[in-house]
Amino acid sequence: MKTSRITKATLLVGTILVGASAANAETFRWASTTDPQTMDPHAVNSAPVLSFLNNVYEGLVRRDRGMSIEGSLAESWEPLEGENGWRFNLREGVTFADGAAFTAEDVLFSYQRASNEAADVRSWFSPVTDVRVVDDYTVDFITSAPNPLFPDSIANFMILDKDWAETNDAALPATDAENFATMNANGTGPFMLSSRDPGVQTVLVPNPNWWGEVEHNVTEGIFTPIGNSATGLAALLSGEIDFIQPIPLQDAAQVEERDGYSVLEGEETRVIMFGFPHEHDTLLYSTDVTDANPFQDVRVRQAAAHAIDIDAIDRVLFRGKIEPASQLVPAGISGYSEENSDRLGYDPDRAKELLAEAGYPDGFSFGLKCPNDRYINDEALCRAAASMFAAVGMDAELSTGPVRDYWPQLREDDFDMYLLGWSPGTFDMEHPIRFLKHTQDDEKRLGSWNFGNFSNARVDELLPLIQQEVDLEARQAMIDEVVAISQEEMAYIPLYTQPLIWAAKDNVDMVQRADNFFLLRWVTVE
Amino acid sequence: MAYFILKRLFQSIFVMLAVAFLAFSLFRFVGDPVSQMTGVETSVQDQEQLREELGLNDPFVVQFYRFTTDILKGDFGYSYRTRQPVNEMIASRIPATIELGITALMISLIVGIPAGVYTALRTRGFATQTILLTTLVGVSIPTFVIGIVLIFLFGVTLGWMPTFGRGGTVDLGGWTTSFLTLEGWSYLILPAITLGVYQLTLTMRLVRAEMMEVMRSDYIRFATARGIPQRKLHYRHALGNTMIPVITIIGLQFGGVIAFSIVTESVFQWPGMGLLFLESVRFVDIPVMGVYLVVIAFFFVLVNLVVDILYLMIDPRLRVKEAI
Repeated sequence: MKTSRITKATLLVGTILVGASAANAETFRWASTTDPQTMDPHAVNSAPVLSFLNNVYEGLVRRDRGMSIEGSLAESWEPLEGENGWRFNLREGVTFADGAAFTAEDVLFSYQRASNEAADVRSWFSPVTDVRVVDDYTVDFITSAPNPLFPDSIANFMILDKDWAETNDAALPATDAENFATMNANGTGPFMLSSRDPGVQTVLVPNPNWWGEVEHNVTEGIFTPIGNSATGLAALLSGEIDFIQPIPLQDAAQVEERDGYSVLEGEETRVIMFGFPHEHDTLLYSTDVTDANPFQDVRVRQAAAHAIDIDAIDRVLFRGKIEPASQLVPAGISGYSEENSDRLGYDPDRAKELLAEAGYPDGFSFGLKCPNDRYINDEALCRAAASMFAAVGMDAELSTGPVRDYWPQLREDDFDMYLLGWSPGTFDMEHPIRFLKHTQDDEKRLGSWNFGNFSNARVDELLPLIQQEVDLEARQAMIDEVVAISQEEMAYIPLYTQPLIWAAKDNVDMVQRADNFFLLRWVTVE
Repeated sequence: MAYFILKRLFQSIFVMLAVAFLAFSLFRFVGDPVSQMTGVETSVQDQEQLREELGLNDPFVVQFYRFTTDILKGDFGYSYRTRQPVNEMIASRIPATIELGITALMISLIVGIPAGVYTALRTRGFATQTILLTTLVGVSIPTFVIGIVLIFLFGVTLGWMPTFGRGGTVDLGGWTTSFLTLEGWSYLILPAITLGVYQLTLTMRLVRAEMMEVMRSDYIRFATARGIPQRKLHYRHALGNTMIPVITIIGLQFGGVIAFSIVTESVFQWPGMGLLFLESVRFVDIPVMGVYLVVIAFFFVLVNLVVDILYLMIDPRLRVKEAI
């Protein structure tokens, strides 16, 4: 520290330069923990990539501030008559950043590219059997069965220019080596990629020929990934960045107290839950019950749910920022079951009774697995839960690890109970039913995140019906039935909806969308 | 001399092979790259297919063999995370790390050597005690804490310095440098101090101990008796002999500075190799981790070689032996 005296002269001059560059107000600088790993919108189905590229590329439809679907490159869409599928009527006069005109051929090409084996987003198109170009501005997506939610499910399906991709040898997403589309972008969106230095800095500039109405006043957007949260906070408080997503919960108070900064809080659509080993014959980590799996008894699962004091968790760990959850999507998401909105309350006495009824009056021990770098306060949450379980006689032996180890462990059935967070990709209840509640079925690609393999014949029967039902009331009745079954059976213990915490300078106005996407086109800097 | 250098470079190949072998035997415990590379909706079969294509199901010896033979052919592979060529990714990050390491080293030498000499010559003064105490504090605080304290002091509270990143660089044909602009220095100085504090303390204490040792030796007494002026005695005769062990330790430490600048780079979001390595570990980006470790092993060998050559230059006795 004393060495700094020697270089003071250098420091002072350096400051002047830094100060000068920060003065330009309409240059908007923001940071996030993860760098989008590619600029190719079909290569990786991950939130950092799709969120960032939504500034540059556009889909047929998009989500508005409140997550509802609205027209983007398609002006309107309607179900096909006489066959299953949807017709999209495309917007005319739209051009890509390089000046090429947008037509139905680009949609067909992008469909072929995104549904190819090399594309990680191809699961969006599993219901699609064919795509037909009707004319330059009309395109039909044919599906194998009626699919009322298809337009919602492709809000992040982004359109590339056919000629651009083919000329630059990027007709398919890069799988092993990079290609032109990994580092370059040519979309129809409100911003254009100006420069890209992976892991260091990515710069966007407004697209002067964008078809939409400009609401932002950003002349240049500079994105920097900052992995270390203390560094990110310092960068915000020193004024070098205008906005950061997310900030750690424990820093929110510090930012709020400062003049000139504000914290944006909301509810993400991600529900945090505990999962059970429904299919295991025995517990893996128990010291006292080695020949049975107590969690196969629904009373034990209910006891576990009764043991959790969600209000204490909210108060102590989350400073009152979480919303307790009764089911696997939060209220407001389509398919949310109003009639099943009660969750099993905190009731340790009832939990002990249930354990006794199930034949475990003295409780038992088991292993609880948790990630420590995936969800907000995940490790602390599991510590709190473990002591709550212990209070009713269920001794949880907690083991935590980074998420890169965690998923493989769950896939290998190496758990007695586990923590999972789920954000419905389609923003509809059908999504968690498909991935978390349907019996594991590799052939049909269902239940792929149902690690404990919860299995209920009625749920399996209802899922395809829900997927195809066009009548919203009938559909909701079926979803209500699934939610009721999973609550009765205690398939999971839904805990709470994860909060979203962003921080920005006071002079910045922006929209915090529930999917944690940040869009530059809603930013105004005063 | 040329033979000596060639021999050392040849030996370095075995060091790098050994490091790569150890690395590959550990990689399967790092986690699963496929679950990081694919989205949540990717089916289990598709993940398995990708794992097969990447050769992750092969025994580690096979993976190690493929990695080394590819590198010998000049193919460093592609990152799992960004799909960019690994050699380009690492090459673009090398200047940042080297410049940071060199600056940290310079700070530690420019401050550490005079401070060491001063505290050795005046063993009891108030200034000496203060210097010794401060450096003790400096060496006991973990690097990331020093970094955060500097950031909040000079970046946030005083607002003199940028808090993160590397700006003001000039591109000299593939090598981006921070040295040519004041803005570049303003980004460089805090991380360099953070990285250099430990080195500085070490250098100072080493110089002090060696200097005190030398000052007690017979030839210094004779020289004093001969009436050689104090200044010449201290800086020519005593310091020269002091520097031999100091150079060894500093040199070896410099390899460590380059290799373990990870913490400093993470705290300052300094875009060097260490930060790249950290991102790669988080993502289980095996090709990048493999090449990084091999490059670092090479640096260690190179630094040792330079230390040996410096030895020859400083210690005349070794030169004589070589000549015979």
